[in-house]
Amino acid sequence: MATDLAPNQVVPPAAEVKQAPPRKPRRPLGRELLRYRWLYVMLLPGLAYFALFKYLPMYGLTIAFKDYVPFLGYSGSQWVGLEHFRELFTGPDFGRLMFNTLLLALLTIVFVFPAPIVVALMLNELRMKVVKRSVQSLIYIPHFLSWTIVASLTYLLFSVDFGVIAGWVHSLTGGPKVDYVAQAGWFRPLIVLQLLWKQTGWGTIIYLAALAGVDSQLYEAARVDGAGRWRQFWHITLPAIQPTIVVMAILTSGHLMDSGFEQIWLMTTSLNRDVADVFDTFVYYVGITQGSFSYATAVGLFKGVIGVVLIFGSNRLAKRLGQRGLF
Amino acid sequence: MTILSRRRLAVAVVSATALLATACSGSGDKEQQASSNELTVMAPLFGTAPDPSGELQQAVEKLVGKKLKITWVPNAEYGDKTNVTLASDSIPDLMVVNEKGPSFVKAAEAGAFWDLTGKLDKYPNLKPADEQTAKNTTVNGKTYGIYRVRPLLRSGIVIRKDWLAKLGLQEPKTVDDLYAVAKAFTERDPDGNGKKDTYGLIIPKWPGFYASASPYDVVETWFGAPNGWGERNGKLVPGFDTPEFLTAERWLRKWVTEGLVNPDFATLDSANWNDPFVQGKGGMIIDVNVRATQLLDLFKEKNPKDFDKVTLVGNLSLPDGKKYSYPFTGYNMVIAVSKQHIRTEEQLDQVLQALDKLESKEGSVLLTNGIEGRNFKADGKYAVPINQDDPKVKAIQNDVDKAFIQLGTRASVGMGAYQLKPNDAASRAMREEFDVLMNEDLKTAVFNPVLGVIAPTSISKGQSLQNIIPDARIKYLSGAITEDQLKAEIKRWYDSGGTQIAKETNELAAKVGG
Repeated sequence: MATDLAPNQVVPPAAEVKQAPPRKPRRPLGRELLRYRWLYVMLLPGLAYFALFKYLPMYGLTIAFKDYVPFLGYSGSQWVGLEHFRELFTGPDFGRLMFNTLLLALLTIVFVFPAPIVVALMLNELRMKVVKRSVQSLIYIPHFLSWTIVASLTYLLFSVDFGVIAGWVHSLTGGPKVDYVAQAGWFRPLIVLQLLWKQTGWGTIIYLAALAGVDSQLYEAARVDGAGRWRQFWHITLPAIQPTIVVMAILTSGHLMDSGFEQIWLMTTSLNRDVADVFDTFVYYVGITQGSFSYATAVGLFKGVIGVVLIFGSNRLAKRLGQRGLF
Repeated sequence: MTILSRRRLAVAVVSATALLATACSGSGDKEQQASSNELTVMAPLFGTAPDPSGELQQAVEKLVGKKLKITWVPNAEYGDKTNVTLASDSIPDLMVVNEKGPSFVKAAEAGAFWDLTGKLDKYPNLKPADEQTAKNTTVNGKTYGIYRVRPLLRSGIVIRKDWLAKLGLQEPKTVDDLYAVAKAFTERDPDGNGKKDTYGLIIPKWPGFYASASPYDVVETWFGAPNGWGERNGKLVPGFDTPEFLTAERWLRKWVTEGLVNPDFATLDSANWNDPFVQGKGGMIIDVNVRATQLLDLFKEKNPKDFDKVTLVGNLSLPDGKKYSYPFTGYNMVIAVSKQHIRTEEQLDQVLQALDKLESKEGSVLLTNGIEGRNFKADGKYAVPINQDDPKVKAIQNDVDKAFIQLGTRASVGMGAYQLKPNDAASRAMREEFDVLMNEDLKTAVFNPVLGVIAPTSISKGQSLQNIIPDARIKYLSGAITEDQLKAEIKRWYDSGGTQIAKETNELAAKVGG
């Protein structure tokens, strides 16, 4: 990675720069291929996989520009150009979908993204290995539960008729019983809570791995120089996991428009649909339950394009800020 | 690594790649070359799928003279699976399908299914038995399938009989009576535990759309609102655009504010609808009549000695004596014939002949009751289950009840097959009550005049519209929005395409004669 830094870019801290290997003299492509032929042969299955399962199906995206009728097939359906996109952008749902999707994305960045970092750092400060391990294992168990179970649990805990938590709050505050799962205002907090509960523990794994890789000599040296735990944290631990945070942030940005279909769909009711509808649920609703395949594909394609733009954009931004970036 | 082993590895890698490539290209188009004596079928399933070599399927295949390849799809995901299947390139020859679904209409109009208009009359068992129902199943004047008959009037109110008796109440006859019963069930401690922990009516969040036989739709009809669409001042208008609709909602909202309804009604999954009733939390359910026998069975499971706690009441009248009853469509989905493999009129004729055999008396008995002498015996008009301890017989019974009955188009209203003999007096009495109530309520049934009409805009734009009204209705009832806001939502429906739908509906209804 470090080798293809453009000359005008900020050079990362000295410790991380590896010396670029000396450029090999250019050889004709044919000889190169022949020389490493078995490596290239081994590459074939991977290429075949991507071609067959990733790139070939993209041909189906053409239906976003057609009035697709399955019976007539891909080739038989009529081209309509950007008609479906026009309908999407001018339709009554677009503003609401965009707002809901972006707001959920923002909430995710603010509350859900930092949570594993904070937890990993706190776990890292724990000195008792047993406690650290068991806490770590305990908090990533929710990751393995399906959204269906998480949603049912939420209903069990928060609904007005038999919800335990709803009951506690009611008896503590003495106020009127609140129906958390039905009220539109509680939709987003519940979604964020669910995400925190389900994903935080799992997310810590990668940061803990990064932390485990920090050279312990650095800490020793710092201690000799008289640095307390706070100083060690600030000058060693945090810089050490910074590249990991950046990479995770870039990867996350590509999924900003993915609001997690299952979770949202399961939590949607008549009362909160206005705040719950996002592109993901809309695509399912329009495509599968309504059978408007072309329109749904157009919506999905739009979402995908935004995802790509965000990945490239944030990668660029990371490099601007002197980080290494993803590619 | 020696040269030899390296070469061997390479060969392995290359052949694996080749295999992968051929495996993928091969599965696409072919394999579906159905022979003329095989029929592929897709139908809903309500339990475990039958064994294709099971006794019942063998018997059915023998009767129709064709091999059947049936894809059984769990009922809960049937709608989604239908749409996905319609989007694929292999549509089964026979498909149980909701003929009004947008994806089906689009496919049918593009020529994916046979237009059966006027073709069914020469098959004695496929000929529509009822003109009104046949009309209801059409799509803008065209018949795309053989409808599966259901009783025309199935709406009713299930009530806790023992609670009525305990509080000294009569079965309700008018909407005011119903309110009084609900009030008493809520406030006068019908279960006698000294706590105020019951409510009158149980309603779930409804998974369907406006005019889809929800309890709300039934109540609106009682108050004189149209069933789906109705004529007002010589024009067809959607039911929610009438003063009667608003009156009904106001009445129901009072129920919610006074706590006569389960507090979680906006989120209660309709799959759990029975639970609060059986647990003694609520005392009434407005739904199809068979829910009464279902609940009776559940009480019986809990306590076989004392279970006769359920009664069924029909549709209610207004205080001034006017009565409007909520009818169903008279059918539930149709069996459509695909054009993918059945290409010529002769082939179609063959398939319809096979279907005709399937819906004959003999076929209906097979699909609805099973194999006589194996899993049931006939007793007058009833079928009595026998040999149910034998696992093989139990399998036949399962195949009938959970699967094959879905292929029958006529049996559920007593055409052809036997009725199941209820095994206790209470259930028997309840069953007989169904017919009495149905005949009584049919006199005041409010039919939807435009069931056979589908406005093109509702197919192309329906996705943005369909949730507006049912959502607004629930929001209004739960107190989240005011009546003015409810009216604004109705206006929003018109503004986002509803005006166009109303216009097209009127035009089409005039053209095809409603």
